[in-house]
Parts: sequence; C-alpha cells; structure tokens
Amino acid sequence: MENNGQKKDRRFIIIDRLYLVMAILPLIVGMVIKVLVTPASEGIEITGARIYFTIPMPLQDLPITESQVNSWLVMLTIFGLCLWLTHGLTERAETKRQLVCEFIVEKTDGLIASNMGEKYFSHFGPFIAAVMSLSALSSLITLIGLYTPTSDMNVVAGWAVVVFVLITYYKNKCGFVHYLKSFANPALLTPLNVISEIATPVSMAFRHYGNILSGSVISVLVASALQGLSKMLLGWLPGVLGDIPFLQIGLPAILSIYFDLFSGLLQAFIFAMLTMLYVSSGFPADDWEKLQAKRLAAKKVKTA
Amino acid sequence: MQTLEVISVNIWQILISLANLVILTLILKKFLYAPVRKMLDARRSTIDAQYADADRAKNDALAAKESYESKLSTAKDEADAIRAEAVADAGRRSDKLLAEAKDKADAIVRRAEEEAELERRKAADDVKREIADVSTALTEKLIGRELGDKDHRELIDSFIDSIDSAEDIGESK
Repeated sequence: MENNGQKKDRRFIIIDRLYLVMAILPLIVGMVIKVLVTPASEGIEITGARIYFTIPMPLQDLPITESQVNSWLVMLTIFGLCLWLTHGLTERAETKRQLVCEFIVEKTDGLIASNMGEKYFSHFGPFIAAVMSLSALSSLITLIGLYTPTSDMNVVAGWAVVVFVLITYYKNKCGFVHYLKSFANPALLTPLNVISEIATPVSMAFRHYGNILSGSVISVLVASALQGLSKMLLGWLPGVLGDIPFLQIGLPAILSIYFDLFSGLLQAFIFAMLTMLYVSSGFPADDWEKLQAKRLAAKKVKTA
Repeated sequence: MQTLEVISVNIWQILISLANLVILTLILKKFLYAPVRKMLDARRSTIDAQYADADRAKNDALAAKESYESKLSTAKDEADAIRAEAVADAGRRSDKLLAEAKDKADAIVRRAEEEAELERRKAADDVKREIADVSTALTEKLIGRELGDKDHRELIDSFIDSIDSAEDIGESK
C-alpha cells in the first residue's frame, strides 16, 4: 500500500514537472527563434513584426509573423500554467499554487460582480481572465526580449472584434427591432450613435496597440539618442571604451519599467474593464426583464 | 528577413487573433475555472454539511439540557412534596401517639384511682366490720352476755355509719 502511494506521489511529481515545462518551454522556444532569425548587426529601426513566411489566401495573403507565433507561445504558456496551478487541487488548500488559482478565480468573479452585476454575467470569468492574461503576458514578454504581439494592431483588433460581437449580441437580446431602436434614442443623434457604436471596438484596439507600440518606439528612440550622445561625449575614450554607450545605463531601464511593465499591465486591465463596462451597459437589463415577464405570462396563459 | 509595416491591417491576422482569444477563453474555462469551481463547490458543500452537523449537535445538546433542567426542577418539586408530606405525616403520627399515650395514661390513672377507691371502700368496709366485731365483742364483754345478733349489729352499723359520715365531713373539711 505504502509503495503504491509512493509510486503515485512520484507520478504526481513527474506530471507536475511536465506541466511546468509546458508553461516555460514556449517562452524559451520563442527566445531561441528570436536569436536564430535576428540578423547579427541591426541598426535602429522601427518596424512591425518580422514575417516568418506567407500563406497565400483569398482576399489577402496571410503572413505568419512574430506576433502570431508569440501569441501562440503565450497561449501555450497560459495553458501550461493553468494545468500546473490546478494540478492537485484539494478542498483544504494544501498548496500555495491552489491559493493563487483560487485568488485568480475569486478576483475575476468579484471584478465582474462589481462591474457587470451578478445577475446576468456571472459566467464571464473565463473570458475576462483570458483577455487580461493574454494581453498582460503578451505585453510582458518584451521583458525577455520577444516581440510583443500587442504592438501589432491586428492582434488587438481581433480581441476588439470579439468584444464588439459580445456587445452586439447582448444588445440584440431583446430582439433586432429593439436593437435598431436603441440607435434612434434621440432621433436626431442616430448617425452619431451609429458612429460611436463602430468607434467602440476601433478605439479599444487603437488604445491598447497604440500605448504598447508607442512605449516601445519611445524606448528605442531614447536608447538610440543616448547612444548618439554617448558617442559624442565619450567618444574620445581610447579603444573599445569609446564604443561602449555608457549613457544607456540607467534611463532605458527605468523607461522599460514604465512602458513594458506598468503600461503593459495597465492596458490589459483597461481593456478588460472596458470590455466589462461596454458589454454590461449595452445589455438592456430592464427591458429584458420585462420581456421575460411578458413571455412567462404568455406561457401561463397558453398552458391554462 | 521581411517585416510588416508598423501599421498594417490584415483580415486573416485579425481572425487568427480573434480565434486565439476564443480558444484561450475555452482553455481557461475548462482547465482553470471548472476545476477551481468544482473544488470550491465541494468545499462549500463540506462546510455546509459540517455546519449542519454542528447545528444538529448544538440542538441536541440544548434539548438534552432543557429536559435535564426540567427534570431537575420537577425532581426538586417532588422532593419538596415528599418532604412536606413526610413532615405532615410525622406530625400527624406524633399527635396520634401523644393522644394515645395521654389516653392510656388517663386510663391508667383512672383505673388506679378506681382501684384506690375500691381498696379504700374495701378497707373502710373491713374496718367497719372489724369495728363492729370488736365493738360487739367489747360490748358482749362489757355487758357480759351475747347481744341479740341481728338487732345489735344493725344498731352498731348505724352507729358506725354515723361515725363514717362524720369522718367524711371531717375529710371534706
């Protein structure tokens, strides 16, 4: 019996390690790919994602770029983290990681309850957690030198489209006519209402992508400016010393803390918050309740 | 190697990203939220069960305490009643005993008095008879002849009776 238990324990540990490897390996793979494809000497240039290969598609060719690959790697990492965190859950919370995953679940549920109300949106937890984790981790992988998918507009636009679909779905809950009527609330402002409806996902996508991209652009600009300054001021130093950009020590690191760490997490949070607010405010809860009551009454009449 | 423009729009890339988010949502739902929720529900049900157990135990204890207390109070009342009854019984019995004893004593005293009276009477009769005999003898001796028994005895008796009554008067004085 004891032997059996030990065996089980060992199996548990092996699976545990596998999950952890699954969480970390994608990031290492990403770094390896980055090292392999990046040319040795690169001037300062501000470009989009690197294209690995292109798949011919109707309408538009599909380039598989760093942003796609890194998104997938991030997803794999999150998947591995999920498996690792939920491995060996017990009712009595015996491990620290269990506290972490309980914390995640309860925090997202609490956030949703306070922003969207508990009545209709209690199942939104996974979606909000997905938005937050994907956005935050995508932004944070610049810290290990990978290209951030969130500084590619297409990635964030995809998320914004999901949010737009959700908003429209919840607005249509009371019927298509009700949805159309909601645009003509003050009849004069109908065009503006339509524009603002379309502007919602566009602004969400542009906000997120613009913040992250501008952060990396500013970082690159400051770094190159400091390199130039360093060359100008300290170029008289003999030999190799003259080539080392000493002034790049310090300031870029602080900027990175702001642009990569803080801004990345903040944008993830803002995107999730806006998602919750737009979806919940788009849902006409009062009319929906009235409609439900009417349907219930009609059903009763029918059965009676 | 080629790179994308900084701002470029590609429908397929948008679709891929959209699908990514949906897939990640499903992954999180299946592999993070479902197990955690299941565990939380299980924990909640165990906690509820334990609370229910605790409540039941508490109610049992309270009921036991109540019945115990009520029993205790009735027992005290019973004990009080028994004691009161016993006291009353004892009082009654002692009264009865006392009364009986008094009666007995009275009876004894009465009998003794009666006996004493009887004795006295007897003694008085004896004395009378003896006095009569003696006086008869005396008188015979004095007179020298035998008295006519019947007449004389009556005479003497009446005499003694007069003495007797005189004595009685003297006694009562």
